[in-house]
Amino acid sequence: MKIIKDKVAKLSFVALLITMTAAIFYTPTASAHGEKSQAAFMRMRTIHWFDLNWSKDEVAINETMTISGKFHVFAGWPETVDKPEVAFLNIGIPGPVFIRAGSWIGDQLVPRSVSLELGETYTFKVLLKARRPGDWHVHTMLNVEGGGPIIGPGKWVTITGSMGQFVNPLVTLTGDTIDLEDYALDNIYFWHALWYAIGLAWLVFWAKRPMFIPRHIAVSSGKADTLISAGDKKVGIAFALGTMVLVAGSMASTNEKYPVTTPLQAGLMRGMVPIDMPATSVVVKVEDATYRVPGRAMQMTLTITNNGDSAVRLGEFMTASVRFLDADVLEDESGYPDDLLAEEGLTSSDNSPLAPGETRTVNVTASDAAWEVYRLADLIYDPDSRFAGLLFFFDEDGNRQMVMVDAPLIPSFI
Amino acid sequence: MSASQSAVRSRAEAVAVSRTFDWMILFTLFTAVLGGYHIHYMLTGGDWDFWSDWKDRRLWVTVAPIVSITFPAAVQAMLWYRYRLPVGATICVLALLLGEWINRYMNFWGWTYFPVNFCFPSNLMPGAIVLDVILMLGGSMTLTAVVGGLAWGLLFYPGNWPIIAPLHVPVEYNGMMFTLADLQGYHYVRTGTPEYIRMVEKGTLRTFGKDVAPVSAFFSGFVSVIIYFLWHFFGKWFNKTDFISGENV
Repeated sequence: MKIIKDKVAKLSFVALLITMTAAIFYTPTASAHGEKSQAAFMRMRTIHWFDLNWSKDEVAINETMTISGKFHVFAGWPETVDKPEVAFLNIGIPGPVFIRAGSWIGDQLVPRSVSLELGETYTFKVLLKARRPGDWHVHTMLNVEGGGPIIGPGKWVTITGSMGQFVNPLVTLTGDTIDLEDYALDNIYFWHALWYAIGLAWLVFWAKRPMFIPRHIAVSSGKADTLISAGDKKVGIAFALGTMVLVAGSMASTNEKYPVTTPLQAGLMRGMVPIDMPATSVVVKVEDATYRVPGRAMQMTLTITNNGDSAVRLGEFMTASVRFLDADVLEDESGYPDDLLAEEGLTSSDNSPLAPGETRTVNVTASDAAWEVYRLADLIYDPDSRFAGLLFFFDEDGNRQMVMVDAPLIPSFI
Repeated sequence: MSASQSAVRSRAEAVAVSRTFDWMILFTLFTAVLGGYHIHYMLTGGDWDFWSDWKDRRLWVTVAPIVSITFPAAVQAMLWYRYRLPVGATICVLALLLGEWINRYMNFWGWTYFPVNFCFPSNLMPGAIVLDVILMLGGSMTLTAVVGGLAWGLLFYPGNWPIIAPLHVPVEYNGMMFTLADLQGYHYVRTGTPEYIRMVEKGTLRTFGKDVAPVSAFFSGFVSVIIYFLWHFFGKWFNKTDFISGENV
């Protein structure tokens, strides 16, 4: 019996080793950006990205594409996140698979950090140039100092070709044409190799003679002074002087070779110009809101007043980049990412046209698996259990009005 | 063979064993320092050493020498007091740079495809050689701390200037002026490193106009003197053999 047990134990151990070894052959691509793990209230109550457009789904190496659209800086910005007084328009991609050839807020190039105002809406555009082949999830993204990365919706883009073909040509202000991809690389290798060789030579000078045991015996027996000879000192002086001469000489020759250099450029860019959104004639009051956990649905009781001069209908509720549409009112034609689009996810107890001057209280339900898939349901575990989002109303001519909502959310577990 | 008998039978054998020990100890020291110093420098110097668009004339010049003189001071203390070997700083920097280059080439370029001309490490070798030579000539940790520590700070920027100068050539891009290093930081997207994290050109040395690098280097040298003293004592403390029993340890 003991022999059988031993054999089983041995075989189990071998099986474990084989399994662990086999695991190294399974290396799937990590393509997520952590967007689902970000606290739901942050995604709902900070930056709302809308009217987004990814200009291409497939690009070849060296070709460009743009991501453009608008983002609204939510007025009900949570207290637990620093306000976007220092923010940076970034792009959520897995490393430099594209280079960021340009990024603009409004008409302003924004290579540096910017200051944004709560309650304002800005247009943006990011120009990307394909660098590394593969399928990449490309997200909009805004980093906020003290708040972290606030990631927007992502869409898959395929880059074709070979990375070896990628070039990044530039003309400097001194008139030289360079390829930034490998510019000055030989110079970097040369100086590092030279200094490494000099350091190695100093070490070899000492390592070619007995090092540790005999020297330790000599130091222990009070003969430490005999271990450094006059010749050693001369060689040391030569190394030190040679080092200083090389440093001074190489600096002088570098200044001669590059007479025009400037310090790194830095600074906060203020005065970003927001867009003027159309005046809103629809007023919405959230009477109550509940999230029904088993049904993966959020229910809101809204009192809507139309102060305009044409009838309107509710067409969309957007929160945390997930768009819930009423299919009778609105159909998406922008190619918005499928996983973030609930094409029939918005229902209302009465979504007939709301006449000018009319006030109506309706029950609106936004339901879709995205609540779970995108972990928005975790809102009930957040430190500030409120929801927020954008409601879009449309009149008969297709004119759109955007209304913000921001209210407490009560979870329902039954 | 009993425990009281010698393991070697002749002087030649003793020399051979001693040399074998030399290489074993040197290899072990080199790799241990590579690991420890590398982690220390990445945690304290970090982005200043990773990216060309962090290598400015104020904070990089100030921070990098201060946080990097640590291990050289400690290893110098060990190798000097025990063996009278003036190679502690050089061994540290050789180990660090080997580790850095493996990291930059295998990880930054090999895994994530950042160009090497954007993520090369800083050069610390000139300061290391001078630090070792000053210790050898003076035989004094105080002298090495004061003169060597200052030299460590002062030599850092000129020792790196031939490497970074080409990246400080200006370029006009979409109506704004950048250095090529700035443009590398803008082009080669770092999702987790937004622009505002970059700590460059911040400070109050405005009265010195454009000549802030020497002032930063002097300040760095002064602080390096203090850090040298501190880490020299760490080195001596770690070098104690209280835990080993015997007469000649």
